[in-house]
Amino acid sequence: MIKIVHYINQFYAGVGGEDKADVGPEKMATIPPISNALKAQFKGEADVVATVYCGDSYFAENTEAALESILAYIEEEKPDLVVTGPAFNAGRYGVAAGNIAAAVTEKLGIKSISGMYIENPGADMFKGKTYIVSTRNSAVGMKDALPLMAKLALKLVKGEEIGSAEEEGYISRGVRVPVWEKERGARRAVNMLLNKLNGEEYITEFPMPMFDKVDPNAAIKDITKAKVALVTSGGIVPKGNPDHIESSSASHYGKYDIDGVSDLTAETFQTAHGGYDPVYANDDADRVLPVDIMRDLEKEGKIGKLHRYYYSTVGNGTSVANSKKYAEEIAKELVADGVDAVILTST
Amino acid sequence: MIIITNNDKVYEKFSERYKVVLIDGTYKDVLIKVRDMIHLGHKLLTHPLMGSVKPNETPYRSIAIADQIDRVDTGDIIIIEESIMTFDKFAKVDRPNRGQDATTTMKVDYAEIDLSLIGNAIDR
Amino acid sequence: MKLELGLIKIEDIQFASESKIDGTTLFVDKETVKKIVLEDEVLVSCDVDIAKPGESVRITPVKDVIEPRVKVEGTGGVFPGWMHKVDTVGSGRTNVLKGCAVVTAGKVVGFQEGIIDMSGEGAKYTPFSKLNNLVLIIEPDESKDQHTYEKALRLAGLRVATYLGELARELSAKEVKTFESCTIPEGIEKYPGLPRVAYVLMLQSQGLLHDTYVYGVDIKQSLTTMLMPTEIFDGAIISGNCVSACDKNTTFHHQNNPVVEELFAEHGKTINFVGVIITNENVYLADKERSSNWSAKMCKFLGVDGVIISQEGFGNPDTDLIMNCKKIEAEGIKTVIITDEYAGRDGASQSLADADKAADAVVTGGNANVVIKLPKMDKIIGHIEAVDIIAGGWDGSLQEDGSIEAELQVITGATNEMGFNCYSAR
Repeated sequence: MIKIVHYINQFYAGVGGEDKADVGPEKMATIPPISNALKAQFKGEADVVATVYCGDSYFAENTEAALESILAYIEEEKPDLVVTGPAFNAGRYGVAAGNIAAAVTEKLGIKSISGMYIENPGADMFKGKTYIVSTRNSAVGMKDALPLMAKLALKLVKGEEIGSAEEEGYISRGVRVPVWEKERGARRAVNMLLNKLNGEEYITEFPMPMFDKVDPNAAIKDITKAKVALVTSGGIVPKGNPDHIESSSASHYGKYDIDGVSDLTAETFQTAHGGYDPVYANDDADRVLPVDIMRDLEKEGKIGKLHRYYYSTVGNGTSVANSKKYAEEIAKELVADGVDAVILTST
Repeated sequence: MIIITNNDKVYEKFSERYKVVLIDGTYKDVLIKVRDMIHLGHKLLTHPLMGSVKPNETPYRSIAIADQIDRVDTGDIIIIEESIMTFDKFAKVDRPNRGQDATTTMKVDYAEIDLSLIGNAIDR
Repeated sequence: MKLELGLIKIEDIQFASESKIDGTTLFVDKETVKKIVLEDEVLVSCDVDIAKPGESVRITPVKDVIEPRVKVEGTGGVFPGWMHKVDTVGSGRTNVLKGCAVVTAGKVVGFQEGIIDMSGEGAKYTPFSKLNNLVLIIEPDESKDQHTYEKALRLAGLRVATYLGELARELSAKEVKTFESCTIPEGIEKYPGLPRVAYVLMLQSQGLLHDTYVYGVDIKQSLTTMLMPTEIFDGAIISGNCVSACDKNTTFHHQNNPVVEELFAEHGKTINFVGVIITNENVYLADKERSSNWSAKMCKFLGVDGVIISQEGFGNPDTDLIMNCKKIEAEGIKTVIITDEYAGRDGASQSLADADKAADAVVTGGNANVVIKLPKMDKIIGHIEAVDIIAGGWDGSLQEDGSIEAELQVITGATNEMGFNCYSAR
């Protein structure tokens, strides 16, 4: 019998919601309903021998230690394959599920699959290192996801040939695979051109990578009169992180008043960002959000004015779609406030 | 015109007619120097990835830029940055320094090819 | 302009005291061939060998592959500008020795490359494993520089191919293929309802071992220009490049340009094939801008609806390719581009050095970084030690048992960007 270990988060393990997101890794004595549902999809061909879970925040904040214990739990079971998730659009869960699946394959040499929504940051981070079945963006998609995941899992364990991303329902791994076509390239080019000329469907053999190139705005005519704002994805927040911006996959951004503030100090500001060593940012947050220098420039008359509010979020693992959404909202406010220019700082 | 190169042969052949900056360093050092010069407002004249010898294979690189300082050309910045990315991509292969590690006779040939490429571009 | 290609089938090559074609066998007088090669005083020694399909033979480093042809009717002669005057070719009749080729092998520079395996794994990737090859192994006077040697080697191959082609001058071919292109007014009159299509053929033009010649002209010194498609079949374009052998067009590729053949196959049926625009791939950025401007301008001038663009080489030609594509699409003309990829051994790296959303119809000749294992061959023609240092090979890629582990890019023509092969990537 094929042996499967299932990894899930604290919510699906029945431990609790966000309030329990800081629990450490555990192996469950009896497998929870979701693992039973997965097992049912194997129709007797495979057994879910164990389920391991971990709190989403715990994993995000203690990734290395968490990964080590989780891998140890998995190794004990000597499974043929590890299934993680499905995580749908839950950012921290997705990153954990992708990370664990990738590590299982890379470090233990055990096959793995995961499942999540295409915009989950974990998808982009780990799609090249494991197979991630494409799911809907919420648990509504569970009944579609599990059969696909089970089918792909069995194929992998049996060493059967894995078809293309579209055929199998996984997220394209972004890896170019050699193929022998039936017709030579020149013929394929002519066929493609005929289709393109006739307005019929054609499929490019190499989709161009898409970069979201932004045309620069016209230069500011007189910067000494301009109102300048600071916006950062470096996670600088007032001490204590009043809006609880997450250390990764931020679900929102913060807007903070810096009226009268001329220097960010260790006592007043910190970073919420979990993706870089926070010591230097916590020590002096001006290093990420240069309020001190802006005040100097303001005093020297080199800029008109520093905008009263700055905006901050955490870029770490935050999806492009969310980033765009935040930016649209922030931009609208900045325009309404008469801001002429923005300095964007990242980390 | 300024030629940024790490190839002695290019320096010998062109230094009387053009400004030639001879870099004591690698292919990548040449790319980085050119990137810096582009940011100072020098226009890129020849493509940084000229030739079919891959960046991890030849130790030599020569690139021509304009002598005069003008507005920074963002198109040039994109070309040089993409070239550096391509260099780094090839540097990830099993033998990143094949060019550096080549035998002396092969290096002579690499230098000759580099000289031919840049010579064909500027001697017209 | 109408050209008939008389296909003289060659199924075997043998050495003999007299060169001739008898039935489907090409008999070659080795001594005469050597003499023809050594006419050039730059070249001091020449050996001649035969490699047939299925044999345990490896040829390396390959400089060029040439198909012997002879012009039997119509103006001019094959390889105009080199073997004949610059009279315009492409009309009348040309006899083709189908099924054989002249392969020149010679080490111009230390890191040179190009492998043709006649059997085994490597044979799958190169079209030249299916041909009976007359291989010329040529050594230069060592006091000569590489440029002189490269030219001598290039021309020696053309001379031998022309000599062999002449053997078919009086033969009448059983199979004749006819290609007819029309003038612009004729095309408009004959095919009023068909989309007008041109072919933009990009030619490598950067310097030593990176050059292409058209009617004897080094194409880097030319502006973008036009050819009637049939001129290509008479050797109007010859190859002077072989570095990174997988995606370089040999002279054979030009003589048998598959895009031209496939566009002719549709000409008058689904499209009106208007002509071939040839453009260069210079390293000077202003040249790239100018040449691609001219490609787009000519497409517009010809009033075409669609074009196929084929690239040659990798790296900075990606920039030319994307410029051509973008500027032609900007004229409202539909494009399909043919390229190849350097996506890393695992296929996970970015394939091209440049990209644009206008390039939404791409045909690929595959990933040149794919690692393949080539078995030991019983016989090596050329310089096997080159394999260890050629592009795509690495230290120890020549294994002790004589097998080779190397990237696909060592194989001559493996990822050809004229779409010569069926190999691709997804």
